Amino acid sequence: MKPIACHTDLPVLLPPGPALTVARGESGFGDPRRIFTPAVAIGLFAAFVISVLVNEAAAAPAAPGILAALWKWAPLIFQGFLFNLLVSVLSMAIGTVAGTALGLAQISLLPSVRGASWLTTQFFRNAPWLVLLFYCMLLLPFEIKIAGLTIPLPAWFKSVIGLSLPVMANVSEVVRGGVRSIPLAQWESAETLAFTRRQTLWMIILPQCLKRMMPPWMNLYAILTMATPLISIVGVQDSMTLTRAALSAEGRSELLVPMYLMLLGWFFLYCYPIARCTVALERRFTVKN
Amino acid sequence: MLKSLLGVGLAALAATALATGASAQTLDKIKQRGTIVVGIKNDYKPWGFLDPAGKIVGMEIDLAEDVAKRLNVKLDMVPVVASNRMEFLQQGRIDLIIATLGDTAPRRQVIGMVEPNYYAGGTNVLAPKSANLKQWTQLKDRKVCAIQGAYYNRRVTQLYGADLVAFTGIPEALNALQQGNCIAFVFDNTLIDSTLAGGDAKWASYEMPLVTEDEQAWAIAVPLPELNGAYGEFMKKVSIDWHKAGLIVSLEKKWGIKPSPYVQDMHQKHKAM
Repeated sequence: MKPIACHTDLPVLLPPGPALTVARGESGFGDPRRIFTPAVAIGLFAAFVISVLVNEAAAAPAAPGILAALWKWAPLIFQGFLFNLLVSVLSMAIGTVAGTALGLAQISLLPSVRGASWLTTQFFRNAPWLVLLFYCMLLLPFEIKIAGLTIPLPAWFKSVIGLSLPVMANVSEVVRGGVRSIPLAQWESAETLAFTRRQTLWMIILPQCLKRMMPPWMNLYAILTMATPLISIVGVQDSMTLTRAALSAEGRSELLVPMYLMLLGWFFLYCYPIARCTVALERRFTVKN
Repeated sequence: MLKSLLGVGLAALAATALATGASAQTLDKIKQRGTIVVGIKNDYKPWGFLDPAGKIVGMEIDLAEDVAKRLNVKLDMVPVVASNRMEFLQQGRIDLIIATLGDTAPRRQVIGMVEPNYYAGGTNVLAPKSANLKQWTQLKDRKVCAIQGAYYNRRVTQLYGADLVAFTGIPEALNALQQGNCIAFVFDNTLIDSTLAGGDAKWASYEMPLVTEDEQAWAIAVPLPELNGAYGEFMKKVSIDWHKAGLIVSLEKKWGIKPSPYVQDMHQKHKAM
């Protein structure tokens, strides 16, 4: 094997090899990844959609224009869906930044910092998301006055904050776990080479953690996206609220299932590729010890 | 320990409420920013509902527009639900509620109900003819569909011992009724009338079998401290004007709501004055 040219005298990681050995040993025949292949998943979903539609058609043969009604409301509800995605992206961004800081605080050498950040993480990680949302909606004012300047805090922004709290706690655990997963020998060798703690963390440990943290982070994002309709409960006008309003305006109970199914389909189409991608990354990064 | 914690929590809540409360004169605030913020419903056809373009329309929206026109300001509508509208008004997030709000004594402790009431509806049930309902007392211990947060829920439970199954939206409740999950759907009588008169085949075997009761006035609401101030007085005049001019009578017609006897009476009474 040709030695790899390094332009630094620091003991950095070698570039990742082309193919890492995939761990197949532990995942036996019952591994859901094998049974639940993309084709099977999409097939199941399609079967579900068709069965529901057939069921609906059978139940209400005299109700034409279900598709027409869906088509009529789709643009409006889709706007709401895009708003859900915006909320998910913003919550994820805020949660990731705050969570990374919190996660690093969890591995601090100062016991007080470590303890406080551990407590914060555990608190937000084990609180129901909806309860956190309610707290944010009720406790944050609707506008802040700073030196005569009035900054409005609209409900949707409060809900972004509310959702970013559990994300923060989960990211914090991902970061802490990621750092802890790096063999201790890496820290020790860095120390023998006279790296400071900060240098070790930023130049040696974190770059290695990054790819390990990717799959759980993406997983968290998919879960967050699917949880965003929670904000409809606290009065934010998202796709769920709009669907409900559309149903009220139509006043046809036979639309109930197809309308919600349409929304479900959009979320599925958005989240499923993320899930596939996560699985692929996990496979790529799993190595035999 | 728990009690003291709770006390601290409540105090903190109260402090937040005070800090953000509507201490300023609402009328001045509205004129200053050139916009009135009205809490309305967007899921209660035909009082307030969405059209496919995303615009909110309905009878109460027409009323809100009328208020804005009289004040010569722009109208900003905030969709509310039964569980948050009073809090929004107290916090100052909205200036006015026109959202199918029943005028009840407990609510009068919290927000300012403008008199005269702009509307009144009674309570009745929509039920399949096969259920053979004749009297309210027949609802005892039977499953009855309802809408969460409706003022008549409590009465029907306490007086007649109905076992309420409350839904967030009307379509969900109607769906449950059709699937036989409940024996009847307790609702505004005017809306049941409109539903039955709509001529939809699926309601052909349904009826409104009981005597309409509990005539309940609906009110537009302002923050409680301002009920007798300039703002409250202004809204009272608006409400009288609506009855006098017969605006609500014509709006009922426009939105296909069966004429409410209360509105007719008020129109006759104020027209004569």
